[in-house]
Amino acid sequence: MKNTIVTSVVLFLICAVCAVLCASVNYVTAPRIEENIRIANAEALKSVAGDLEIGETVAVENYEGVKESTDLYKDGKKVGTALLLSGSGYGGSFSIIASYDTKGALMGAKMTVDSETAGLGKKAEESWYMDLFVGMGVDKSFPSAPKDLSADETALVSGATVTFKGVSKALKNGSDYIKEGAK
Amino acid sequence: MKNSHLKELTKGIWKENPIFVIMLGMCPTLAVSTQVSNALGMGLGVVFVLTLSNIFISLLKKVIPDSIRIPSYIVIIASFVTILEMLMHAYMPSLYDALGIYLSLIVVNCVILGRAEAFANKNSILDSALDGIGMGLGFTLGLTIIALIREVLGSGTITLFAIGGWDGVIRIPGLASTPIRVVGMSAGALLVMGLLKAFFTWKDSKKGEEK
Repeated sequence: MKNTIVTSVVLFLICAVCAVLCASVNYVTAPRIEENIRIANAEALKSVAGDLEIGETVAVENYEGVKESTDLYKDGKKVGTALLLSGSGYGGSFSIIASYDTKGALMGAKMTVDSETAGLGKKAEESWYMDLFVGMGVDKSFPSAPKDLSADETALVSGATVTFKGVSKALKNGSDYIKEGAK
Repeated sequence: MKNSHLKELTKGIWKENPIFVIMLGMCPTLAVSTQVSNALGMGLGVVFVLTLSNIFISLLKKVIPDSIRIPSYIVIIASFVTILEMLMHAYMPSLYDALGIYLSLIVVNCVILGRAEAFANKNSILDSALDGIGMGLGFTLGLTIIALIREVLGSGTITLFAIGGWDGVIRIPGLASTPIRVVGMSAGALLVMGLLKAFFTWKDSKKGEEK
């Protein structure tokens, strides 16, 4: 009995010390990490907006997978919306900034935060990957799996099916949000 | 520094190199060795975790009961990996992005748990720290050699870290436009690793014959 208690106390103390160490480092690094994410999102927003003017960003509540919304303008007229989307891939959650036209068709997208596998799911960070989905959402629906793409495109995304499904689902979710708002 | 301490520091770099001699930590070695910058980043991450976990484990070796040895080591190693992740995410975001899930996987890198079990829990704090630094540097050296060969032949480039206006990429004339792509792929990783292992074994056997 005494042995069990001693063992438990030792393990508890080791865990407690490690937790305090991690919490202290988190306290110092969290603001910096947040700032890095904010900069990455701002750059991604510029990239998906192209030559459109960027409006004010507002937080989106009560719609799963859509975190923020930013209106995009051309000559003062609203022509689209950029959304900050969240989804889930092979390595955990990820964030995507995606722009849609007023009907909900995807104009551009960029993955900003992710923990996908290098050489496999990480391909989603590259521009050609998101280009596979551009134009989808209205006349053409988002693919539910890589097999829904052409043979050449399937070969490009092979080896990371979970990431592909997660990205496609997140982008479809964004498109649905725009369509629901447009009603 | 005493000769024995110096031996603990240097043995991991060449004589007991974790990649080419002990053959531990093969998974990240093969996965991350696509670019020199990734190899250096991963290697330095391992030096950080290995050194601190060795120090902690050596410090607590008399306190940790034998029955909870491994769980305790895992908690300590995982904590240092989490700390490393947070520091890299905050101060080296591009490297953090490039290493992706492999950074978290340092927790299960056999080099770290192997050194904790085989060395740190039997030796003094100083020797454990030196062992951690030496083994970590040996791991970094091995990883960087493989990455250098793979990147030069497979992509015709050497990717270092961007400084100011320089993007950090050295392009090798001739190879950059017509690289040997297979070397940069997974099969190339095994090929390069096998050839380097054969070279190290040949070198060792030659030394043995001379003696």
